[in-house]
Amino acid sequence: MLNPILSFSAIRRMRTFRTMLIVIAYEAALLVLAMAITGGFLKDELYLNMMERGPLCYAVMLGAQFVMLFLIAPAMTSGAVAGERERQTLDLLLVTNTGSFRIITGKILESFALLALLIICAVPVECLCLMTGGVTILQILTGTLFLLAVALACSAVGVFCSSMCRSTVASGVMSYIVLLGIGVVTALPFVFGYPRRITDVVYDAELYAELTPAGARAMIPALLYLNPGFGLLSLIQGQLHVLTGYMTGHGWGRIYCTWLMMDRADCGMIAVICAGGLVLVSAALAGGAALLIRRRTQTVKS
Amino acid sequence: MLKIEKLSKNYGKFPALKELSLEVPDGQLHGFVGPNGAGKTTTMRILATLMAPTSGAAWVDGTNLVREGQKARKLVGYMPDFFGVYDNLTCREYLDFYARCYRIGAEERKRMGSQLLELVQLQEKENEYVNGLSRGMKQRLCLARSLIHDPKLLILDEPASGMDPRARAEMKGILRTLREMGKTVLISSHILPELSEMCDSLTILDHGELVFSGSVEELSDRMNGNAPLDIRLAETAGAEAVEEAVRCLRELPYITEILQEEPFLLRVRLDGGEDVCMAAMRELVTRNVPVCDFHRAPMNLEKVFMEVTQDA
Repeated sequence: MLNPILSFSAIRRMRTFRTMLIVIAYEAALLVLAMAITGGFLKDELYLNMMERGPLCYAVMLGAQFVMLFLIAPAMTSGAVAGERERQTLDLLLVTNTGSFRIITGKILESFALLALLIICAVPVECLCLMTGGVTILQILTGTLFLLAVALACSAVGVFCSSMCRSTVASGVMSYIVLLGIGVVTALPFVFGYPRRITDVVYDAELYAELTPAGARAMIPALLYLNPGFGLLSLIQGQLHVLTGYMTGHGWGRIYCTWLMMDRADCGMIAVICAGGLVLVSAALAGGAALLIRRRTQTVKS
Repeated sequence: MLKIEKLSKNYGKFPALKELSLEVPDGQLHGFVGPNGAGKTTTMRILATLMAPTSGAAWVDGTNLVREGQKARKLVGYMPDFFGVYDNLTCREYLDFYARCYRIGAEERKRMGSQLLELVQLQEKENEYVNGLSRGMKQRLCLARSLIHDPKLLILDEPASGMDPRARAEMKGILRTLREMGKTVLISSHILPELSEMCDSLTILDHGELVFSGSVEELSDRMNGNAPLDIRLAETAGAEAVEEAVRCLRELPYITEILQEEPFLLRVRLDGGEDVCMAAMRELVTRNVPVCDFHRAPMNLEKVFMEVTQDA
């Protein structure tokens, strides 16, 4: 039987005008972005360097969606459990035979479903990049899958915060802080404790040539694999190899070295590991949230 | 059958419930009475598996409500005092949603949904959005929701609060039907006279402690022993008769209070049982006081409740 929380929340959400507005605004923003980048092509002006615009358009749209997901997800998920508390419907759910974990997974999947709707609706817009070439439909679909993993993690963070807070507003604020915190904390290895071995290997042509992809992946700090931004950059680099060109010769130091290390480690694989990590984090957060909703109910003084 | 044994709940250091023990036989409508903060809602939330007790246990048909939460939820239906409803869902969808939460199959969901909407007299509102219903209708719909899985024990926390008299009467009618259906109902309310009319038995709580538990008749009998005496004097005898009666009663050592309720009606409190009552009557008759009616003042549940909780 399909999770009732998921199916009925989705029915309720899709009956509101707000949901339609969000979808339209999201897709319109992407469309404007795509038109701005590929606009010359649509005006029947064709230059050779326009061929570069397809990959650029794709990378920018992927990045834009990534940022929008981080902005939209907390707003969408903040009321998942806190809203039930405010509406005084949580008790009615908790006395049913639907366990806490099922309630939470229903809430996460329901929030995820809306974000997935936004991402999937954006695929035709992304396909505008196909006109200029340089990007394949498979790459667009892979990018979509990565964004779905990010959306799942964002939903899980949002629902976790929602089960911790008593009010929707507090939950929304907390979600933004936690998401920002995850981004900052998982990027810390770049600033502190950066492995010198990476620099040593990159600047030693012989060592670098002998480095296997698995060896290169092992040298990248583990925490970095949980950084969604790192995953996104790996994905774009793995698919398009457009970013190394921007850095070469600009003296980007350790970032450049990491970049080369990522290239050696197989960027596509890094993106897959990162997406897998995000799904695991989502599952862990779901478990935590399931424990929290009952505990929070226990402390309510009547 | 519901059995509660030494159930206690502390909020931090504050004891909200102190070793409550209670038994409610099958098919009874049991009233839960007490002033605010007496521990009624705490008890009901523990029984609804929403809260773990600090100590003690409770069973419904032998299933431990504290340890076997998942199994117990099938046996217990709960309607809280304050609750919300989901917007953008029709009454039918609302019931269907909770039925699915109880993992009830499609056919059974449909059948139960129709039956319950009929029971709570909302069949005409079946396809209307829940957020558009009046408060009374929402209360009835929530009652239907708590019955969707056909529970043995129904816990209703102030089900008639905030309802107008008509909606209250309708709710009363539904509760009577539930009793006829053989459900065990635990109901708390501040509308005490209504409870006395409906309930088979009562529990009175005060400051988390059990003050009384038993049938309504037992409670009335117990309290009627302390009820004041109403002495009506013949109006034809005039005001002198009332003065004479008051004078006579004041001389009696066991009379503690004399109130003139009406020109010819005296309400007298006395310290003692039937023997003292008989002695007072004998004295009045001996002194030729024109008594035309002499009886214990009837105690309704509200008065009893005030007396009992005052003592506690």
